[in-house]
Amino acid sequence: MANNFDVVVIGAGPGGYPAAIRSAQLGLKTAIIEREFWGGVCLNVGCVPSKALIKAASQFHKAKTNFDSMGIELSSAPKANMSKMQKYKQGVCDRMSGGIDQLLKGNKVTQIFGEASFSSKTELSVKSSKGTEKVTAKNFIIATGSRPIEIPGFAYDEKTIMSSTGALAIDKDVKSLAVIGGGYIGLEIGTFLAKLGTEVTVIEAADSLLSGVVDKDCVQQVSRKLKKLGVKVVTKAMAKGQKKVKDGIELSYEVNGKLEKQIVEKVLVTVGRKPNSDQMNLKGIGLDIDERGFVKVNAQMKTNIPGIYAIGDIAGQPMLAHKATHEGVLAAEVIHGANRVYDAKTVPAVIFVDPEIASVGLTEEECKAKGIKVKVGKFPFGANAKAVSLQETDGFVKMIADAESHVVLGVHICGPEASNLISEAALALEMGARLEDIALTIHPHPTLGETVMEAAETTLGHPIHIMKK
Amino acid sequence: MANVEIRLPELGEGVTEGELVSWLVQVGDKIEVDQPLAEMMTDKATVEVPSSKAGVVKELKVEEGDVVPVEEVLLVIDASGAGAAPAKEEKKEEKTEAPKAAATAPAPSQSSNASQNIQPPVAESHVLATPSTRRLAREMDVDINQLNGSGLAGRVTREDVLGAQSGAPAGNSKIEAVAPARDIPKPAYRGPQGAVEERVPLRGIRRKIAENMQLYKQIIPHFSLMDECNVTRLYKMRNDLKKVAQERNVKITYLPFVMKAIIATVRDGFEMMNASIDDAAQEIVYKGNFNIGFAADTPNGLVVPVIKNADQKSIWEISAEIMDLAGKARAGKLSLDEMSGATITITNIGSVGGTYATPIINHPEVAIIGMYKMTDKPILRDGKWRAIKSMNFSCTADHRLIDGAVAARFLTAMLGRLENPARLMLDMY
Repeated sequence: MANNFDVVVIGAGPGGYPAAIRSAQLGLKTAIIEREFWGGVCLNVGCVPSKALIKAASQFHKAKTNFDSMGIELSSAPKANMSKMQKYKQGVCDRMSGGIDQLLKGNKVTQIFGEASFSSKTELSVKSSKGTEKVTAKNFIIATGSRPIEIPGFAYDEKTIMSSTGALAIDKDVKSLAVIGGGYIGLEIGTFLAKLGTEVTVIEAADSLLSGVVDKDCVQQVSRKLKKLGVKVVTKAMAKGQKKVKDGIELSYEVNGKLEKQIVEKVLVTVGRKPNSDQMNLKGIGLDIDERGFVKVNAQMKTNIPGIYAIGDIAGQPMLAHKATHEGVLAAEVIHGANRVYDAKTVPAVIFVDPEIASVGLTEEECKAKGIKVKVGKFPFGANAKAVSLQETDGFVKMIADAESHVVLGVHICGPEASNLISEAALALEMGARLEDIALTIHPHPTLGETVMEAAETTLGHPIHIMKK
Repeated sequence: MANVEIRLPELGEGVTEGELVSWLVQVGDKIEVDQPLAEMMTDKATVEVPSSKAGVVKELKVEEGDVVPVEEVLLVIDASGAGAAPAKEEKKEEKTEAPKAAATAPAPSQSSNASQNIQPPVAESHVLATPSTRRLAREMDVDINQLNGSGLAGRVTREDVLGAQSGAPAGNSKIEAVAPARDIPKPAYRGPQGAVEERVPLRGIRRKIAENMQLYKQIIPHFSLMDECNVTRLYKMRNDLKKVAQERNVKITYLPFVMKAIIATVRDGFEMMNASIDDAAQEIVYKGNFNIGFAADTPNGLVVPVIKNADQKSIWEISAEIMDLAGKARAGKLSLDEMSGATITITNIGSVGGTYATPIINHPEVAIIGMYKMTDKPILRDGKWRAIKSMNFSCTADHRLIDGAVAARFLTAMLGRLENPARLMLDMY
């Protein structure tokens, strides 16, 4: 078998498969190796299935809380069928994963299903059910991603002690759940399970949820909603251990120096993800890996070994699918000889909690730390007609701009469809837009998007739909 | 050490740039305040740029032949006096943290393949430019971090990047000429095989003349009108005055009389001859003052000194000023001020030779009057031949503003005054 390629991509997640497609589009002889699923964690046990379940849960929740006030009467109370919900979710995943398969085939990318490991700097050995084969290439793109961090005493069985993977496969009602780690993954899953009727407790080590990464006002908004949903949040708490008891799992955690115990049906551990750099014999071939486990790369995604590139989660924070995609395409173009580097001004972050949080650019605190004088404006969804008609009036659009030039530096949205609204803000940042540019762009009415325009107006000091303070 | 940048100072009213003809100092030279640093060629003349500071020259920022906008850095000196330390590029290395998201862009080169230098460096968040402009800059090997954006809030535009590669300083919005700059084809010249040729760079005054003439001829639709004038009486009058003039040590030529004739005629209903067209504003500008330029042939080429407010000066004064300015012109010592601000120009090419010429109007003026050699001529009057002194004149005008008939009437009226100097006297103030 002619197993010599121009480019071999290892890992078919949201970084790897676009890298392979672009390589092939550029006329390079390309192969992609995947050990588990086409589309990777994102498409199969991450972003995509969680969005399906989050949507289902919020529809269910709306049926319970909003239908009556909107004039929809149900003959009986809505009921969540977890196993049906799983089927719906799986349908979404299968359809998307199948699409990737088609795209790879259509672009004439050789697909190899198996577990790859470097036998030298220029050769991989790939183990599969068919045995072991050698694959050589002029260039390798490592896109093998990350996996959930395990904490001592909480080995994943994915049934009672779960990572996100197990939680996204729950096909029966869960009476109670403890979430260890109040980051975005834990809160997304915790929120949808709470909406489906699970009693949720969040154990967070820091003094607030989503600590450090998200605008404080957004966190406050989400914390309020969690409370409304009956989610118990314990901050400054450390999980100490768990043991099986008659009624489930007895979880012990320390808060304010006191040991607390709580019995729950399941435990979800979402304390972060770590790069898969301990696999594939990466250290063995001399690849530079930093103390946090990320493969060191330069702005062209090149590692210290010529011809080996790394992209996505394994190449550094933030571990986000869309960043991986951008890097994957970039690496392919660099291999093809284009003068490209990573110079995006911002990577948007989206969190599918309730209400959604999405942000680009700098937070107020970061501007302060850098000594940038800023103007800040906030426009509430409560003053937006579309949000009112959706009965989703919680939240706001917050805009931060340079006080003098009015160049937009950061946008933080907490509210309905924040994840969709943020793209306009990302474009604004990349284009170097000023507040006036956004304010003077006619936004259609009545839409949620108007809030972005109004936030720009508010920051300029003359909003139409709210009173100036 | 204290590095000080010395910038090109104002060279004269309305002068926005100059061409560096030659450096008068070199790196390492110790310079004093007011010491000439370089010769700069402007639209009008070559001037010496004096130093505003004392110190030791560290770096010359422009090269001979470069066109330098006013306020641009010419050179860097070490003003601390000693100047022992070697010149060091003062590049600000902004080590500030990139925004959180952008910080994930792996720091360049910390682990790059040793051979691989990423040029130009990664744009951190300071540069305001769209993603496609940033990519264009990279593909063109232009360091976008070094460009001064011409857009709002310092935005680097696509045009800035394209301009940076073609060598034009980015972000210097040049003051446009009155007419929009046009694309003038620049065909290469290749002589036939074996041709004996010498190539000399087109520089200094010659380049400026070439550029100006090309521009003026493009902007203005020229037309010329010629006539001859019986200047017998003027000739006699001037001869009568020669003795007085010698006593005063002033040489009186025909030029001041022609100036006075122009002024009187313009005031007599021909204001459009002493005017300009402001193309940008689409307006005609009538001038209240008479600054009359006269073309002077010098070893360096054509220059045009100007008699300011000629309408308020006597022929004595004008004559003395002409002598002074002509002397300076030949010596290459005219100041910029002495060469600017003309409202109408006279060319006296006839003193060199030729019966008629079709000169080019000195934009933004709208007319140039030519005067030619005086000759003895017979004329037939009342059936008798008489000898007269005759002189040819031409009037070249901007046809956008001046109609043919207007120019003809103007020339006739002007020559009428020159034929009869007594009448010219009546017009004088």
